[in-house]
Amino acid sequence: MQPVYVTASAQCLPGAPVGNDAMVDYIGRLSPEAERLGRLTLRQNRIRGRHYAIRPDGGSDWTVARLAAQAVRSVLAETDPRRVGFLATATTQNDLLVPGLASGVHAESGLPPIEVASLQSVCASSMMAFKAAALQVAAGEHRAAIVAGAEFSSRYFRPGHYLGTDTMRADGTLPGDAEFLRWTLSDGAAALLIEDKPAEQGLSLRVDWISLRSFADRFAPCMTGGAVRGPDGTLTPWSLGEGAPDAARAGAFQLRQDIDALYRMLPVWMGEFMRLVDEGRIDPQAVDWFLCHFSAHSLREEMVKLATRAGCMIPEERWFTNIYDKGNVGAAAIFLMIDDLMRSGRLRPGQRILCAVPESGQCIMAYAGLTVVGDTK
Amino acid sequence: MTVVERIEDNGVLVERTHRGLAQVWIDFESALVQVPVIARLTTGKLRREDYLALLRNLRQQVVEGSRWISRAASNLGPEHEELRSLFVRHAVAEHRDYRLLEQNYVAAGGALEDILSARKNIGSEALSAFLYQTASKPDPLGMLGAMFVIEGLGERLALPWSQAIQAQLGLGKEAVSFLAYHGANDGDHLDMFDHALALAVRDADTADEIVRHARIVARLYRLQLEELDHV
Repeated sequence: MQPVYVTASAQCLPGAPVGNDAMVDYIGRLSPEAERLGRLTLRQNRIRGRHYAIRPDGGSDWTVARLAAQAVRSVLAETDPRRVGFLATATTQNDLLVPGLASGVHAESGLPPIEVASLQSVCASSMMAFKAAALQVAAGEHRAAIVAGAEFSSRYFRPGHYLGTDTMRADGTLPGDAEFLRWTLSDGAAALLIEDKPAEQGLSLRVDWISLRSFADRFAPCMTGGAVRGPDGTLTPWSLGEGAPDAARAGAFQLRQDIDALYRMLPVWMGEFMRLVDEGRIDPQAVDWFLCHFSAHSLREEMVKLATRAGCMIPEERWFTNIYDKGNVGAAAIFLMIDDLMRSGRLRPGQRILCAVPESGQCIMAYAGLTVVGDTK
Repeated sequence: MTVVERIEDNGVLVERTHRGLAQVWIDFESALVQVPVIARLTTGKLRREDYLALLRNLRQQVVEGSRWISRAASNLGPEHEELRSLFVRHAVAEHRDYRLLEQNYVAAGGALEDILSARKNIGSEALSAFLYQTASKPDPLGMLGAMFVIEGLGERLALPWSQAIQAQLGLGKEAVSFLAYHGANDGDHLDMFDHALALAVRDADTADEIVRHARIVARLYRLQLEELDHV
């Protein structure tokens, strides 16, 4: 197979950064008690800033397709657009139920007719799209491909999606699994250009391997949207009831995250790391930059102990993150990190980058190994 | 060579063993939700008869615990003196644990003669046969893998299980003391296990054997839980 390289990257973060105190102006007020839970969540996730595509009045000039297309246009500016034959997109929730996001992004991107793929999951959809794009180029189908990840989750967090639903409690609070995400996720997009040769100038990232595995054989859905929850916890698709208004009243269109289940997934995500070490794909000692879509502080002590004993702990000074200032942007997050790292001036030829993207949805873990090539001039 | 020097020498091999064991454990623990009794426990639907069956079936395996550990100890040669003494101490520490299971069974509403007279289920037979057969070989270092899985259950799962059982069935502490005791104490056992591993792993073959035994015991343990009362 043809070696492939990330030769350019770009991001689109809408509006000015929003600090913790101003968040509630954008996602809206449910109750003082809900905001207290929000502050608690922010203390845990340590996010200080993020961007929102929604305005405080609930309106927006953006769609998730437009956010992604803006990032795509920025990478296109760095290449000959005629080389690009494939566009893969990743998101958690598309603007429309039908058709797929790649069509919406293609429409807004200014690209001529091309091959597209819409990958929908949660955070790991980014790696599905990344792998699709890398393989398309590696297989010789296309000389260049673009992968874009985008999220516009703030629109689902507005009070109108909660008030009057069964989820809302009498005291104006939501269950923790619904409130948590309101204070965790935010908006933005990022894109990578993937080519069959390194950039003529500057640094590129050779894509050495991408690995993705689902553990849905042993985990129930953990982060969900679109389901009506029965009293015994069973999930019924919103479309199998009396109609959309009923499903909405039952809270089917709200995003939920079972935090306890998420913590049960951590060992499985780390087990994947160990498997890749044993297979010789990851050498923990040789990793110069660890781009991880969860933060070192979120690992409990026992996990650090487990990793250390197994020779798998990458020292914290090699972890690279931007989550504290740019927020948790789901399917865009890993591309935002790659873009920030490529622009940081800290990369040197020969350095090894390890990307890690866990997905709590129904438990997926994805890793990718990249090597810095080219020159720093 | 002193113990400290040896530990430094075999550090990479020990890490490799830990990595292999961790993967066995993670696969084992995450796959347990597919076992009916554990699925009911984790979704809050456990019935009293499930818990009684669990105790009745576990007892027939636990009663053998210190016996196979002692047999393994007796087969550790002069090369593994220190390890042998760890095995012996471990066997002593656990040799009456099965009595807690019997007390819990009665406290949870079962009849003592039922738990005393129950036979090993199909999975317990396979598990027990494997453990005795391995323990009977010269220098059975692979047993450390077996101990890792069985101790791991106590360290990582017993306490949350005991709490869930108490909450779901409205039982008192006296009915879950076996699980609660293991949850509270097996942390020390695992530290001792790290020490034992550092003593035992001197070559790659031993590292692989320990992980292989862990994989087999993990599967047989799951079989034991799948085959409750199938005798």
